[in-house]
Amino acid sequence: MKKFAFFPGCLIPARHPAMEFAIRATLEKLEIEIVDLEGASCCPDPIYFKSKDKLSWLAVAARNLTLAEDLGLDIFTNCSGCTATLSETYHLLQDEELRDQVNQRLARVDREYRGTSRIRHIATLVRDEVGYEKVQESVVRPLEGLKVAIHYGCHLLKPSRIMQVDNPDNPEVMEKLVEALGASPVRHRNWYLCCGKACQDESIPNQMMHDLLETVNDEEADILGMICPTCFGQFDHGQMKIAKLFEEDFSTPPVYYFQLLAFAQGVPYENLGFERQRFKPKALQRFEEVAAG
Amino acid sequence: MASQPDKNDVVRVDFAFKRELAEKVEGDLASYCYQCGACVGDCPATTYSDGAFNPREIMLMVLYGLGDELIREGSILWDCTNCYTCHERCPQQVKPVEVIISMKNMLSDRGFAPTSAEKVIKTFEETGRTVPPNPAIDKQRAKFGLPPLPPVPMEEISKLFEPANDEGSPE
Repeated sequence: MKKFAFFPGCLIPARHPAMEFAIRATLEKLEIEIVDLEGASCCPDPIYFKSKDKLSWLAVAARNLTLAEDLGLDIFTNCSGCTATLSETYHLLQDEELRDQVNQRLARVDREYRGTSRIRHIATLVRDEVGYEKVQESVVRPLEGLKVAIHYGCHLLKPSRIMQVDNPDNPEVMEKLVEALGASPVRHRNWYLCCGKACQDESIPNQMMHDLLETVNDEEADILGMICPTCFGQFDHGQMKIAKLFEEDFSTPPVYYFQLLAFAQGVPYENLGFERQRFKPKALQRFEEVAAG
Repeated sequence: MASQPDKNDVVRVDFAFKRELAEKVEGDLASYCYQCGACVGDCPATTYSDGAFNPREIMLMVLYGLGDELIREGSILWDCTNCYTCHERCPQQVKPVEVIISMKNMLSDRGFAPTSAEKVIKTFEETGRTVPPNPAIDKQRAKFGLPPLPPVPMEEISKLFEPANDEGSPE
């Protein structure tokens, strides 16, 4: 078993425990051993706290990284925002002057950032340490015919020099991960759009989400395949607002990839917390009926 | 942006603004901007605001030192979607989004952050999380066989917020 330190962040453990459950259940089957990080805080978030004070943001992020350094482990994240904060910190602190500044603050709590732990997003962890074939082998009910519109979101891919995940203009990691489940990935025309969560002027994200849902709808996708919990919130709760505002009913349920993987690995639909979503991925239930029949 | 300077006006550079911005992490990167506009084409905030939000024009204002246009209540900078496409596209590694965030640091220093942002920041500073723990969440977690949310050592983390004496003036 390969061992990695798990950085769960805030949104998934505190708002979407079903996602955390799915991560733990699926990684075990993929022979990844999870080591929990004691004393971890918010990454801190790359939108709000970073906009208050970049240096404090870096110092807190560096402290989180030292927790994995103490264990001599690489760290993996399940949220694109956490990945952005921690990867960017790793990148920026290669600058000695900035690292000294941050370490002066860390010295107050007897810590030192050394830059010895790499940061991996869970999607790349599975791609690089497990491999698509092994994911496919772990599937007990292939999701044949399920059309999954992929929503990459922004921070998984960009800035690519820092994130080092995939080609931001033509990524394939999510498509391959979805194909490994036997499902059909769909790239809709607005696949690259942002969820708009960080924008203050509501009319911008509203129109953007509307346009994105419209092209997903054009492709007749069954679900929206998500990899970021912030985007997930926008397209679950937020989709209700868009439906009301534009008087259009897209009803495209978002599903976090690792819940989809857990389902394909045989975890029953009712154990995956889908009943808490505003838009429930009922399209999955037909695969349960096939298995039962 | 509506208030772009007329080309016949004499530009009065606000050097105090530029110096203060340069003190912020990556705040000085706009100096490398040669106004090519690569950041604009794929900027979703530009597309969806009919051009009202324009990262090239924002970088131009920084170059001109027009701090008053940007550092004020209700600043257009908060309309940035933080998608990092400008960072991806910029051939000069200006990282427009980072310059914008550095200016948001200046806005926050002056108490000009939107209430919604301040709320999240306060939750983080008090609990170490952006989503605070509560018994209902722990009950839900238990349903999935997950332990309660572990405590965050805030007494340790809050010591990291204060600037060091020789850090310049991040506040």
